[in-house]
Amino acid sequence: MITANENQSWVTAHADVALTGANVAWLNHQRQSALAQFESVGLPGVRDEDWRYTNLRALKSNDYALSASSPLSIELAETANPRLVFVDGHLDANASTGLSDSVTSLKESLELVEAYFGSTLPKEPHGFTSLNTAYAHDGYVVHLKPGKILDGVLEVVFVSQSADAVSHTRNLIITEANTQCTIVERHIGAHGTVYLNNVITEIIAGENAHIDHYKIQQESDDAFHMGGVFINQAKGSQVKNHNIALSGLVTRNDVYTDMLGEGAHMEMNGLVVGQGRQHIDNHTEVNHAVPNCTSDEYYKTVLDDHSRSVFRGRIIVAKDAQLTNADQQNNNLLLSKDAEADCKPQLEIYADDVKCSHGATMGQLDPVSLFYLKSRGINAEAANALLTFAFANEVIERINVDSVRQELTQILAGELLSGLEELV
Amino acid sequence: MLKVKNLHATVGGKSILNGIDLEVKPGEIHAIMGPNGSGKSTLANVLAGRDGYEVTQGSVEYLGKDLLQLEPEERACEGIFLAFQYPVEIPGVSNMAMLKAAMNSMRKYHGEDEVKAGEFLKLIRQKADLVEMKHEFLKRAVNEGFSGGEKKRNEILQMAMLEPKLALLDETDSGLDIDALKIVSNGVNALRSPERAMVLVTHYQRLLDYIVPDYVHVLANGKIVKSGDKSLALELEAKGYSWIDGTDDAAAAVQQAS
Repeated sequence: MITANENQSWVTAHADVALTGANVAWLNHQRQSALAQFESVGLPGVRDEDWRYTNLRALKSNDYALSASSPLSIELAETANPRLVFVDGHLDANASTGLSDSVTSLKESLELVEAYFGSTLPKEPHGFTSLNTAYAHDGYVVHLKPGKILDGVLEVVFVSQSADAVSHTRNLIITEANTQCTIVERHIGAHGTVYLNNVITEIIAGENAHIDHYKIQQESDDAFHMGGVFINQAKGSQVKNHNIALSGLVTRNDVYTDMLGEGAHMEMNGLVVGQGRQHIDNHTEVNHAVPNCTSDEYYKTVLDDHSRSVFRGRIIVAKDAQLTNADQQNNNLLLSKDAEADCKPQLEIYADDVKCSHGATMGQLDPVSLFYLKSRGINAEAANALLTFAFANEVIERINVDSVRQELTQILAGELLSGLEELV
Repeated sequence: MLKVKNLHATVGGKSILNGIDLEVKPGEIHAIMGPNGSGKSTLANVLAGRDGYEVTQGSVEYLGKDLLQLEPEERACEGIFLAFQYPVEIPGVSNMAMLKAAMNSMRKYHGEDEVKAGEFLKLIRQKADLVEMKHEFLKRAVNEGFSGGEKKRNEILQMAMLEPKLALLDETDSGLDIDALKIVSNGVNALRSPERAMVLVTHYQRLLDYIVPDYVHVLANGKIVKSGDKSLALELEAKGYSWIDGTDDAAAAVQQAS
């Protein structure tokens, strides 16, 4: 348990900052209860079961100021897609395209989100989630009215450029019946910069909604990323979450879904590529609350150097959730003796007519495959790189939007196939 | 080209090769036959440099170099190619990517420029036609979901692309139906040249109807017990391995007779 003293000033000392919706009663109410909640739990520590493998000492040893808005200081690659740009958590309207009736910012849409804000959060949120509710200052809001199909791909880029800044970002994807959207959320940061990104995306999937959500984390190597993607699924909704973590010093992602209507399907794809002293902690939870839902979870980890990863995958099948079909796979590739992966599958099944399967592997590259490549003249380094890339790329291959898949393949090739990028 | 002298090798402490002597010259095709467990595949794998085999005695000279001192990838760059008995599936790496990496790795080894994309594409399509492989297979992951015959054809495609000086074909005929066997054999025959030597490891004479060897050697208990020309293979086919002294089958036959 962290005492109030250990909580640094950045956590709650924001009296001088103009908070989003300071005059909005419902938000203030949520804010107060979130702060009260935070007071009782504080920041997580290794004594909390859900954080026991994730040491936050480095995060806690730094001090952060609530980020101020500043103009975008880096140049983003051109894109043909509509793209929102947030700088240190603030919408940069000049750099953004694609704002519409369906796509807005949190600040502009407080009335719209009232019925949804916080509705997907876990019942017992940890400290970062509470802080996010208390200090959420902006984020993107996608609201699709019944039957609305958001064409193409919406990109949202979160750029962090100010040192020692903390951003509490809250995004909401609210889809009504028979809607469809593809959203790529990207988090990038100036290398060498220390900051803390505390980002929550709430996804409310309406009946038969199809949502393809990507989160690509390429933070600064010195950054802290505390993330949550919380999903509520109505009848027949199909949601895919792709959680790709490629950098950052300490990353935590909670990806939770509550299946609340029959016939819903959830696909969770995850990829972790750890190098140096990176630490990536993914907690997933699939709550099969009603019958006839399916879930398919596929997480892969590649760790080199001294990097560490945690995978906690929980599947809950409620007593009445008959005919559930749930699968979970977590495969870990350890490239270095000093790397460590902790894997914790948790299946809680209270119904009797269900199909649940899970598998976890830890290992090195297959020596037979390595020999096969070497016997074709490929040197050891390139053979290792090719097989590592191939292992990781299996997650990317599950992406069905061509442009996103190709781009991620290129990014991954840049990370893992140094000098061999032209091969993909 | 290849001079194997008194080669002994063990796998997991068990001795498999017990003094192999073999000389192969450019342009020659040698067939190594023998019953299961005689050491045929071990010989091919030792020459290619596979892990897990320990050479305890003897020497292998290849193009004037001490082959056993070279890493597997160096052997490949020096022109040795092993067609695997069980080609490996590599999900996530396309046939084209692997072959491009292989060609460029070899070119780099020889101080040459990388292959140009257009040139590579033209070449690989041409070689795919040689083994009657549909071009869409080139984009698929290496051997993933390929049938047994497709895998073996893929081995020959790789060989055709990499143009080895010495090809070791390890039971390339196993698991092939007659049509696939013909395609594979045609591919191999098209690659015969006065500069290129081949060593065919096979259990059955059948392959040698299609790829006619210059020499046939019979291996038993890790030694070459008989050598001859292609007629030896036919004789073996007619009489069985028990006909050759020194094989387990021969011992069994003797035991049965007594």
